Amino acid sequence: MLETLVTGALLSVIGIYCVIAKKNLVKKMIGLGIFTNFIHLMLISTGFREGGIAPIIIRENVGFFAAYSVDPLPQALVLTSIVIQLSVTALGLSIAILAFRHFNTLDTEKMNKLKG
Amino acid sequence: MLEYLITILIVSAFLMLAVRRDFIAIAAILLSFFMILALFFQSQIIVVRYGGWTPPFGIVWEVDKLNAFIGLIIAGMASLVTIYSIKCIKERRHRFYTLLCLMTTGLLGVCLTGDIFNMYVFFEILSISSYGLVAFFLDKNAIEGAFKYLVMGSLGSSLLLLGIAILYGLTGTLNFADLALKVSHSREFMIALGLIIGGFCLKAAIVPFHMWKPDAIEGTPIPMGALFSTATAALGVYGILRLLFVFGMLQLNLMLIILGTITMLAGALLALVQINVKRMLAYSGISQVGYVVMAIGFGTSAGFAAGLYHILNNALIKGLLFMAIGCVIYITGKENLDEMGIRNRTLLVCTGIGVLSMAGVPPLNGFVSKWLIFMASWEISPLLTVLAITASAITLAYGLKIFSSLFFAQKRAEGKIPTTMLVPVIILTILCVIIGVFPQLGLAVVEPAVNALLNQNQYITAALGGG
Repeated sequence: MLETLVTGALLSVIGIYCVIAKKNLVKKMIGLGIFTNFIHLMLISTGFREGGIAPIIIRENVGFFAAYSVDPLPQALVLTSIVIQLSVTALGLSIAILAFRHFNTLDTEKMNKLKG
Repeated sequence: MLEYLITILIVSAFLMLAVRRDFIAIAAILLSFFMILALFFQSQIIVVRYGGWTPPFGIVWEVDKLNAFIGLIIAGMASLVTIYSIKCIKERRHRFYTLLCLMTTGLLGVCLTGDIFNMYVFFEILSISSYGLVAFFLDKNAIEGAFKYLVMGSLGSSLLLLGIAILYGLTGTLNFADLALKVSHSREFMIALGLIIGGFCLKAAIVPFHMWKPDAIEGTPIPMGALFSTATAALGVYGILRLLFVFGMLQLNLMLIILGTITMLAGALLALVQINVKRMLAYSGISQVGYVVMAIGFGTSAGFAAGLYHILNNALIKGLLFMAIGCVIYITGKENLDEMGIRNRTLLVCTGIGVLSMAGVPPLNGFVSKWLIFMASWEISPLLTVLAITASAITLAYGLKIFSSLFFAQKRAEGKIPTTMLVPVIILTILCVIIGVFPQLGLAVVEPAVNALLNQNQYITAALGGG
């Protein structure tokens, strides 16, 4: 559990730093991706169980399943969230392409409103 | 019947892309409005179980008076915006309507669901279609506004997801009613609640998270400005209310009062210095949400009634102003405050009523809810009343800027406004005047929502009892 927390803390700091400090639109999107991966890691670790088995249920093993398997619900949630993150990234990168066509740069310093 | 609401909206969104007929989107959104209207007049709480699973395990939708009230505002504004956009959006209208249908799906889904992860999914549908709508014109303003909104909005919804992850780790459930039973007032729950409320504050544009809204509204088509300032703001406040209801509202009152007061004053002051009328209305919308959040923070039933009443009035007034100013921009083609002269009498009267109502002039609806907020704040602390009246005075000041630029303009543009654009404006004006003259009508709509908010047990037993 400690490794997860340390990795999560690192990922969140790197992600937030990327989004706030980097001036490049694509790097900002990468930062968002890293930050979301930190949340996915946290979410999946809530269902973790030491030495657990994969959550596949068949008719014979219901009792065994309840006793040893990891929690399958966070995995379903993370799958949903990955799909959402994919579409956000796709939209963000296509907006970055359009911004490049307008300003001929990806640098936020050279745009009007994205300076802050 | 309610099960098919989302299906209808999503199917019509994709039909719009293929068939390109406006009436599909209009019919779908009007149909969803009438569905919500029918829900609003139901007396008991309605629980919809998807896939036949009983509530703590499966996804449920749960509609009490509070959901129905906010849903009615959202669906009503969405249908007016749909009618308004027929003539207002001149090119690529099928794409606009596709995104609008998806956005309505997201708004209604977040509003009606009884499951917190389901809420997150609809929140993201809402967010992604909003980013698309902000970038709709694909010019410099639109692209910059959309990217800013996208980065801030994604961080906000990440916070929401992190809060949900912590909640699930602590309780092992995602159902609102079940969460309400398992929640304690420990520090971990407060962290989760803070993260989730942060996500909703971003949607409602409460002040530390408000930077996206003026830029997004400046770039977006003007009917979307109306929807962002009314429906999205109402939804953000609904999210905060529902979460407070799940957790009990003991420790967060002070935070909401402080956030609300800052939002109210900062929004009004920033609106005062704007030259672009769309940005001014955007900041004004931020300021009005501040009133609502402050009133909710009082934690008394008078405060809730005043806050919910102000959500309704803010939706009517901001919708009216955005749509009327949209008509002006349709004629003149200019967005600066000093180039807004027009000749059309009906439009001048409607905008005048909207501005006066926003400033809280007595016979109109803005006065009623502001008066209720002043009365409720007097019981908590007279200082808050003074601050609220100050913000109201600043509102009058920037309202007069719009007023004078419309009525005392030297150059007046001629032009014909399409009927489909004028009708929503007139409907909203009539509603503003009626609610102002007969405040009991508005109270009759708000009272059941306040009662639903205060009777938590009904909500919990309705979800878990019927299993």
